[in-house]
Amino acid sequence: MRDRNSAISFVFVFTFIFVTAFTSVFAQENPTVAATASNQVIVKKIKAGFIYVGPVADFGWSYAHEQSRKALVASFPWLESAIVESVAESDCARVIDRLIVEEKCDVVFTTSFGYMNDTLKAAARYPDKSFLHCSGFKRAKNLGTYFAELYQLYYLNGLMAGALTKSGKIGYVAAHPTPEIVRHINALAIGLREVNPRARIDIKWLYSWYDPAKAREAAESLITEGCDVLAFTEDSPAVVQVGQEHTAKGKPVYTFSHYSPMQKYGEDSCVSGQLVDWNGLYEGILLQMYAGVWKADDRWWMLKEGAAKLGASPDQCINPKFVEPLKKAEIQDPVLGKVSVYDLIFKRVSQMSEPGVLFDPFTGPLKDQAGKERLKPGERADQNALWTIDWFIDNVDGTLPR
Amino acid sequence: MFGFSVRIERCQPASTTLSIVIILSAMTIGLFSAAALFVFKGFSPLTIVSKILTGAFGSRFAWMETIAKAVPLGLVGIGLAVAFRGKFWNIGAEGQILLGAVAASGIALFAAPHLPDKAVLPMMLTAGFAAGAIWGVIPALLRTRFGVNEVVSTLMMNYVAAELVQYLVYGPWKGASQMGFPYSDEFVSSAVLPTFYGTRVAWPMLVIVIVAAFVTWFLITCTRWGFETRVIGENPEAARYAGISHARVTIILMIISGGLAGLAGVGEVSCIHQHLTTSAAISSGYGNTGIIVAMLGRLHPIGVLPAAIFLGGLLVGGDVLQTSFGMPFASVNLFTAVILLLLITGDVFLDHRFRIRRDCPASSTAVIAPSDSTCGGKMRN
Repeated sequence: MRDRNSAISFVFVFTFIFVTAFTSVFAQENPTVAATASNQVIVKKIKAGFIYVGPVADFGWSYAHEQSRKALVASFPWLESAIVESVAESDCARVIDRLIVEEKCDVVFTTSFGYMNDTLKAAARYPDKSFLHCSGFKRAKNLGTYFAELYQLYYLNGLMAGALTKSGKIGYVAAHPTPEIVRHINALAIGLREVNPRARIDIKWLYSWYDPAKAREAAESLITEGCDVLAFTEDSPAVVQVGQEHTAKGKPVYTFSHYSPMQKYGEDSCVSGQLVDWNGLYEGILLQMYAGVWKADDRWWMLKEGAAKLGASPDQCINPKFVEPLKKAEIQDPVLGKVSVYDLIFKRVSQMSEPGVLFDPFTGPLKDQAGKERLKPGERADQNALWTIDWFIDNVDGTLPR
Repeated sequence: MFGFSVRIERCQPASTTLSIVIILSAMTIGLFSAAALFVFKGFSPLTIVSKILTGAFGSRFAWMETIAKAVPLGLVGIGLAVAFRGKFWNIGAEGQILLGAVAASGIALFAAPHLPDKAVLPMMLTAGFAAGAIWGVIPALLRTRFGVNEVVSTLMMNYVAAELVQYLVYGPWKGASQMGFPYSDEFVSSAVLPTFYGTRVAWPMLVIVIVAAFVTWFLITCTRWGFETRVIGENPEAARYAGISHARVTIILMIISGGLAGLAGVGEVSCIHQHLTTSAAISSGYGNTGIIVAMLGRLHPIGVLPAAIFLGGLLVGGDVLQTSFGMPFASVNLFTAVILLLLITGDVFLDHRFRIRRDCPASSTAVIAPSDSTCGGKMRN
């Protein structure tokens, strides 16, 4: 037995001699390739590396970034790219190194919060390369941050939810208890309260950004508890599909699509949703880099900049099946007077699309669950307050894990 | 039906040469047959294989990244090799890694400011080892006292450990400086393991894994406990007759196994992340991949080391499939899966022989090959 085991250790030693010899032979190839390339006419090119946290086929977060990358590569002949998907937090540093050193990328986009520290360190390691970190708050001379923010749309979804719910119970399937999601839930709650002051929001946490099975389970249990409207933050259409199944069986459950156009997964259930469009952000950053004028800054884009759009399909803001009920639902607004929810939604869209942003959901008076006043009447939450928000509005029933 | 029938028979373990041939050919066939699937994508298998190997071992940077992955895999693998030798099926290395990480983070976050700088890392390593060991000993006690199946208990305790980490990072240990995200505060510099310059290889961890391999090898081969472990592993009944205390042996076994996994957890939080983060990010599946590493290393502590480097290399080199060929992440898993499947299938040839028999009722004893005197090439008496 011992004899055999030590024999097998030798096997591995042999294998690695073999492997190293093999690789060193092939590693020789690279210099010749580089030599031929340098003889060509020099045309300025930019190579961008993209690091994704999920699979690009997740139909959510990573998918949306990937769609923009494809569009940009197709429209700019000077743009080359390399992508790496499903990168674990602990592998980010290595993948950045690989993209810079081996793939010769000029700029690397790291598209998950968990990559923040490794991106910051890489920016210090490669001072002549550019880095952009999506959703983070740490910046450097060559490290910018960018984000497409959706809370304005969750507010608009909340208006619709308030008009459509019969049970007065809204379910929210939430990925992680992070400020981004707390912000989304609160925005939904603000819209909901504006139309339907007695309706309440219940939350189920998934502790995962992408978990269709868990999302489905959470949606089912919220429906069992009496919710007839579901909103969510998770990178798959599972919640919309659950809503469609219940609606098809005769028990209407209204859903709001998240991030990608998911109406096709629930033609009778999906009312509207939030669509993200990273094109403008990526285009702006890359064009500036090409022109040599890019400066590392923070870009927090919403409706006004076109990074966030209302809807669950590319060409409709609201599923036509729900336009009538929304037109019939009317509320008394202190400023606009008697107005249908449908008209209110589009009034708010145009207000929030104005350069000066004439309306923001996070405007006081706002109280948290404990009754503490968080925003004084007329006061608007600033970006820092929204960025670190860790409290719920009083018509939310869930709690934040502490 | 086809005129032949194949019979598989157990036989004496094969010779050293043959096992070398089997493992090498399984690895080569595995690499190339997985690569062959990419012909449909228009890449030659040779290009793919050479790219993966270059990505894993082709430069100093690649080697360092491979080693950074091999260190936790090696620690977990050595521990599991010890446990599996004693037929204690520890599926709980994930949880033991997490407990080690939690204990080390506790020291780093709360005790480090009050300790002399030099004492912090030794304390973290000790605490990590102890926490992993305690998490490992619980199923050992359950098994020896109450006969609870350890496969179930170790597996279930992974979930408990994961929930504990989630509770801490979302709750009491959530860092004030992390803007509400589920991470603890960053560790102070005295709690961060030193690395080889410009790499992510913590040299103390590298020393620990090599020392651990030799020490466990020594324990297994040269101590009474090691002998008892082997007896229990080979024949529990005989062990009982010989008066070997099953409980004592198993508990020591799991102290080593859980403790080493705990150390892997310390390395991850103290070098790679430098804060406590969510459970999936800390363990990165090392607890499960470690099982394969232990099996590949033939449950031999020294054999585990190259096995860990091989698997680490495969995980690291797999990046290249994405960066250079634009293939999806799943293709990386395809490679690991095909190669491991073949390596494990290759095992059968080590102590089995195949007899092909012609289905001929009239002369049913006609044996085509191999003849009785061969067993995979060579018979030992």
